[in-house]
Amino acid sequence: MSTTAAPVPGASREQLGRLEEHWGERPSLRAWLTTVDHKKIGRRYLVTAGLFFALAGLSALAMRTQLARPESRLLSPQEYNQLFTMHGTAMIFLFATPMLFGFGNFLVPLLIGARDMAFPKLNALGYWIFLFAGLFMWASLPFGAAPNAGWFAYVPLTGQQHTPGLHMDVYSLGLLFLGIATTAGSINFIVTALKLRAPGMSLNRVPLFVWAIVATAFMVIFALPALNLDNAMLFLDRRFGTHFFDPAAGGNVLLWQHLFWIFGHPDVYIIVMPALGIVSAVLPAFTRRGVVGYVLVVFAIVAISIISFGVWVHHMFATGLPRLSYSFFSAASTIITIPSGIQIFAWLATMLLGRLVVRVPLLFVIGFIVTFVLGGFTGTMFALTAFDQQVTDSYFVVAHFHYVLIGGAVFPILAAIYYWLPKITGRMYHEGLGRWAFWLVFAGMHVTFFPMHLYGLFGMPRRVYTYPSEPGWDGWNLVSTIGSYLLAVGLLLVVVGVVHAIRRGRPAPPDPWGGDTLEWSTDSPPKSYNFPVLPQVHSLHPNWDESSRESMGAGAEADRILADGRTTLLTSELDGRREREVEMPGSSWQPLLLALVMLLFFTAMLFAWYPVAAVAAVAVAGTVATWLWPPRRPDRELGVSA
Amino acid sequence: MSAHPGPRARLAGGLLFWYAVLGGAVAWAVHLLAGWGVDELTCASGSDHIGGVPLRAAVGAAVALPALATVGALLAAVLLWRRTHPPSEGEDRSVGRGRLLAVVGFWSNLLFLTIIVLGGVALLVLPPCQR
Ligand code: HEM
Ligand SMILES: [Cu+2]
Repeated sequence: MSTTAAPVPGASREQLGRLEEHWGERPSLRAWLTTVDHKKIGRRYLVTAGLFFALAGLSALAMRTQLARPESRLLSPQEYNQLFTMHGTAMIFLFATPMLFGFGNFLVPLLIGARDMAFPKLNALGYWIFLFAGLFMWASLPFGAAPNAGWFAYVPLTGQQHTPGLHMDVYSLGLLFLGIATTAGSINFIVTALKLRAPGMSLNRVPLFVWAIVATAFMVIFALPALNLDNAMLFLDRRFGTHFFDPAAGGNVLLWQHLFWIFGHPDVYIIVMPALGIVSAVLPAFTRRGVVGYVLVVFAIVAISIISFGVWVHHMFATGLPRLSYSFFSAASTIITIPSGIQIFAWLATMLLGRLVVRVPLLFVIGFIVTFVLGGFTGTMFALTAFDQQVTDSYFVVAHFHYVLIGGAVFPILAAIYYWLPKITGRMYHEGLGRWAFWLVFAGMHVTFFPMHLYGLFGMPRRVYTYPSEPGWDGWNLVSTIGSYLLAVGLLLVVVGVVHAIRRGRPAPPDPWGGDTLEWSTDSPPKSYNFPVLPQVHSLHPNWDESSRESMGAGAEADRILADGRTTLLTSELDGRREREVEMPGSSWQPLLLALVMLLFFTAMLFAWYPVAAVAAVAVAGTVATWLWPPRRPDRELGVSA
Repeated sequence: MSAHPGPRARLAGGLLFWYAVLGGAVAWAVHLLAGWGVDELTCASGSDHIGGVPLRAAVGAAVALPALATVGALLAAVLLWRRTHPPSEGEDRSVGRGRLLAVVGFWSNLLFLTIIVLGGVALLVLPPCQR
């Protein structure tokens, strides 16, 4: 069942030439700035999110260096506040989700057998906005104007009165700006997965990673408006003196918390869900079998994405709700562990029943399971309200959520980097270097964060820029700091491994792992049109099944080659029945332009240059109007010659 | 799934199908918003009656009605599952897809029913406005 070659394309030379003509781009600065190719955009997402990860990681190293010894004076309290806020905000908003969306962008069309995302220009717009919003937020740090009130920015602390200066304006405007990108990306994933699946890919044949990305996208669509509303009101309160959060004028302080956590709890799953999808995608290749209980895993994904909206109040147990209403939320918080458990057991069963091939991606998956389960365990400890009261705002909490986030997002992302590097770059990585990286990251992670449980229990609060020498604090803090440097070296080795692969790696075959999904049935890296022949899918593991593979080779049909234009196939949502072919847009300046005028708008708002902001708003409207202006359609599409 | 049903029957079948898949989820959302909203707002206004109805009864309705709706969805999912089971040779792929959704619907309805029932248990033991 494992084959290492792409099927000999069933398309003729001449057809391939025409496909190249319609889809290919000659490298140039212009092509670079105007491309709408999902593979290039996906790659950019990955690199940019990687850079923001590095910045947030360096901020963490600075904090750990400061905290190595008691009474250290390396960082001022003001600097420390900005560092932990930017670290948390960037890790959550500028690293985790964009990184996973980067994989989604690169992979979803390849996994479902399509030639691009449903809205390629929107996709490019999303990337540029993400880049600019990230730079917008990070640029405030050198000026000492970075957000400084924690990543969840509770009012009244974040009001103008208690936090003057630009800090929280950067936060609210930056996240509003970024939200446009995340929303656009989510809509794109949903439509792509519902409408562009290869013929034959009915819902029961959709890869788990795609299920996970789509569930995530739905969560974003429902959760993000709450955060956007929150930030819009915060900005209005701070800048224009409205009173949304001001109890003295009939506002409400708890409103911020409610809205924030209506977004914030689903966000935990928004971060972790696609990462779990990566795990389900990586395992089949290294266990030589499909994930056990596909249907149950689909159920778990769907259930988590819905229930995660009904648990936010557990972040607010200290705010005095009636116990009865609180218990409605506790019921959901307890039950949501069941579908999460189902996924873990499905992976364990897959590993037990399969034949393990221990390569670097599998090591990271195992590292993920260990770390994530430990994080989940400390999480259930919070369910005891008395314990929760005791450790709230201590380093125990910091330990817990780093286990969940590094276990649940960083490890799977690293597995994905090694797993798909051959597909993305066309080069193999160095296995030995990868193993070193794994062990350093794994050890570094546990040496850094395990001791935090201890000094958290010994009473050390989080978000302190320094601490007095206390029994049980000094020694373990030093251990944490040493661990963080170990972790940094491990992550550096990952980067070295990637660069080494690109420079020196051996060329990758189309299917180095014997993977089960469609991306392995085409070249590494894929051609601009992804598939010479769009597949006809016959099973859940198309690359392991002869008839699906043959549909791209000997069984090719002209209506799946579509060499006469830049087109891909539209199919029905549930059953993947062929509907018609659709024209796809080519490269365009509009995405970059629109993102730039939006950047101008948000910058002008930040510095209170309102006339400039007004001009920028008009420019945004104008660009959107040209974008949406109906183009002159070629006759063929109007049905004239059909 | 052999004979082609008329449009009315198709619509009813389609509605029943989505009820089987998503009924529990919707019922739970209604339960959560209604139960929490009624409880918190009434208690905040310092009363334990809402329009003459005792608060406990009102919240009880916000538990019982969604629970019943979920039981219905559960039964619909079982029906759907039996219709799409066992797999036959050379089946249409929409049958496989229907079976997937039936199983997903069955388990999620069961899960949502559990959540709602747990909320009901809390209602039995906690006075509605205790903080
Ligand atoms: C790469 C290694 C990492 C190290 C060494 C590290 C270290 C730290 C430290 C020292 C703090 C501040 C603790 C305090 O003063 O309260 C912190 C906070 C935080 N970290 Fe990390 N972290 C790392 C990775 C991550 C990742 C991958 C994520 C998320 C995906 C993350 C999310 C957060 C969040 C949300 C906070 C809370 C910020 C706040 O209090 O507002 N961290 N981390
Ligand atoms: Cu939560």
